[in-house]
Amino acid sequence: MDFYPKVKSAVNYFKQFSLSGKLALIMILIILLIAIFAPCLSSHPHQRSSGSALTPPDGEHLLGTDDLGIDLWAQIANGARISLMVGFGTALLAALGGGILGIIAAYKGGLIDKILMRLIDIMMVMPDLPVMILLAAFFGPSLFNIILVLSLFSWIRPARVVRSQILMLKEQSYIKSAESYGASSWYLICKHFLPEVSPLLAVSIIRLSGRAIVAEAGLSFLGLGDPTSRSWGLIIHHALNFAGIYYTPFWRWWLLYPWLALTILIVSLAFIGRDLERIVDPRLGK
Amino acid sequence: MKLKFKRLRKRLITLLVISLLVFSLFGCGTEEAMDEQDVDLIDEAEEQVEVVRLEGGSDDGYPTPYAHYSRGPGAYKMNLIFDGLLERDEDGLVLWLAEDYEVSDDGRQYLFTIRNEVKWQDGEAMTAEDVKFTFEYSSEHPMVRTRVEPDEVEVEVKGDNQVLFTASEPNASLLYNLGRVPIIPKHIWEDVENPEDYLEEEAVIGTGPYRLADYSQEHGTYRFEAFEDFWGPRQNVKAIEFIPVSEDIMAFEQREIDLTRIGTDLLPRFEKQEGVEVVQRPAFWGYRLRFNMQDNAQLEDKELRQAISYALDLEDMVERDARGAGVPGSAGILPPDHVMYNPEVKNYGQNLDKAEELLVDLGYDQVNEDGIRYNEDGEKLCFDLFVRDSTIRLAEIMNEQLSELGINLSIRSEERQTHDNRLHNNDYQLIIHGGGGWGGDPDYLRERFMTSTDDEEYVDTQSLGYENQELNQLLEEQRYEVDQERREEIIFEIQELLAEDVPQIALYYPAGYTAYRADKYDGWMFMFDHHSLTHPKLSYLTRE
Repeated sequence: MDFYPKVKSAVNYFKQFSLSGKLALIMILIILLIAIFAPCLSSHPHQRSSGSALTPPDGEHLLGTDDLGIDLWAQIANGARISLMVGFGTALLAALGGGILGIIAAYKGGLIDKILMRLIDIMMVMPDLPVMILLAAFFGPSLFNIILVLSLFSWIRPARVVRSQILMLKEQSYIKSAESYGASSWYLICKHFLPEVSPLLAVSIIRLSGRAIVAEAGLSFLGLGDPTSRSWGLIIHHALNFAGIYYTPFWRWWLLYPWLALTILIVSLAFIGRDLERIVDPRLGK
Repeated sequence: MKLKFKRLRKRLITLLVISLLVFSLFGCGTEEAMDEQDVDLIDEAEEQVEVVRLEGGSDDGYPTPYAHYSRGPGAYKMNLIFDGLLERDEDGLVLWLAEDYEVSDDGRQYLFTIRNEVKWQDGEAMTAEDVKFTFEYSSEHPMVRTRVEPDEVEVEVKGDNQVLFTASEPNASLLYNLGRVPIIPKHIWEDVENPEDYLEEEAVIGTGPYRLADYSQEHGTYRFEAFEDFWGPRQNVKAIEFIPVSEDIMAFEQREIDLTRIGTDLLPRFEKQEGVEVVQRPAFWGYRLRFNMQDNAQLEDKELRQAISYALDLEDMVERDARGAGVPGSAGILPPDHVMYNPEVKNYGQNLDKAEELLVDLGYDQVNEDGIRYNEDGEKLCFDLFVRDSTIRLAEIMNEQLSELGINLSIRSEERQTHDNRLHNNDYQLIIHGGGGWGGDPDYLRERFMTSTDDEEYVDTQSLGYENQELNQLLEEQRYEVDQERREEIIFEIQELLAEDVPQIALYYPAGYTAYRADKYDGWMFMFDHHSLTHPKLSYLTRE
């Protein structure tokens, strides 16, 4: 039974989480399930109207409807897919890309390292939101472009963290001896470096996904997302565009629920990120 | 035990942070107290309001007749500085820079007597020469909103203060158009080669009631101040400011601005508020669906356009997009509030069976797995629909309605400038065009539907690739018809033809509500053919 120890170690990991971390994990799991089973979870379509406009939450429409009469629960459930996809898509792309660049920079050193470090310096001083807005406007509104643009601004942190870790690792004697036996760079990266930095990358992924989800919501809110998608940011965008929504009762469902969903997801990711960091780096635990 | 406490505290803190976030986001603005300390701005002795603040924040261009943006907010800011020969009040044209005018019996000659003692804002006297110069200069350099075509009239100065316009043909809308041209000073403009690039301080010198005191392109702010030596009625408002606001209704509640548009759902709130007046705007602004028939052979079929008309539920659009505050579009284009509206015009209404029948007859009789209809050549009914970012919801409603019929729209939204450029360059298949002027002289139908010429001038408004000789003839005829009754008959007939041909679809005319602080200023008025309270200059002047 190869399977059992893995489950056991997963349970052990879970036990190391704080209470808030455990709650957060459960919340993420729930949101993930909602995203996966979105079409089965709501009896109403999320793209077209299924009732009269702006009905408050009732038995028919659990979370009410928006100004077009589209069921909000259906939109939020389907929007979870977009948020998670953007969040984890961006984070994976950025963490892997950044991680590999970091490894190369540290291991190869020399000119490559210098160029990459200067590039990172440039990216760090660049104000990301204005440039993201510019790029999103330039590439045109689509989900894929948003993931791309967000990744473009997210790889710096993982690259720096990984680089410093590798700089330390490559002086270790076991790496030195592997090198002397003729191990190729590729072999070293796959066999030694990636496994060593993977916990760090995991923390980065969690951190970055939280950021990316907020950024997607922000870009959608500014009208730079796919205008007809039903992402959480876009629901909020439409709600806030409704003239004087604060003076009507509509915000109590149209604005509140997508905002709540977004907040729960972000806060959960933050808690998990914090706990992971503590587990990965024992010095922080004390 | 201690540990539990710690956890509990942690949880409490988390909860507190979340609830703080909730309140910081939603608490503000819901129920703010009235600012009682707001100083009484009305000067009792003079009864002039110090300043009226209006929503600004988007650049409308430098307010000269050549540099303002073509939309209403730009044009009417320019109008505060520049006067025309005539002005418009609630009922029609009134004398303005012209003291009097006479029209000859054949409808070709217009003799305007220009007011004496009119001063330019730099102190020079305005004369009949300036009027002549304006028309000559603008036929050479068309203004942003050119009303009088080059070669349409000849201008001569008669005596000291009279100007005679002679038209080559009698023309029903000429008086209206002549009266609206902003008169510019000869001594400033005569040496200007490129009026579009002339952005000096002198460029905003007119004879109007207000001077431009401050303008910031970046912030979209304007400040207009009363011109002391203005020839006409006294200004009720000393200064007009257009300021950026983040949320207009909130800004109105907090007395940052004195007038705002409100949605139907806010009526009860503002109607009972003391000192606030609410009025409904006339439906002279409208959304229309335009087809680019020139570059899309599919759209050339009249039956397809009719089918789209049958598939649309315009009342539903008014209900959902405008929360009921609007009038569904008329297939004859002219809105029901228009003086020459033809109520007998073909009324499409939503009729999906009829729409389907038309499409099947056209050959679009198959539907693929995505529900999109196509014909035997494999031509699908898929179109790109371009909208302004503020019109997305309307586009989504339209998409929902058309998808019932198997017509698929990809919605592309853009901000105002890009959208307007797209309109100008005819770079679209379908586009939702929102704009004003629907209450004006029905000659605008000629600008919209007469077969395209290479004339640069109407490139924004023409229906691309549309041609109907009978209609062309009627449009030409009404233009030269000076007998009002006969002209109305022609216009009625034109509306019937348009309703049959559907070269564009009037979706709906919003007739929303405007709330203003009557306790601060209540001189607002609507011009007889316009939808805005803040645009007419008479809104700011003493009325008899």
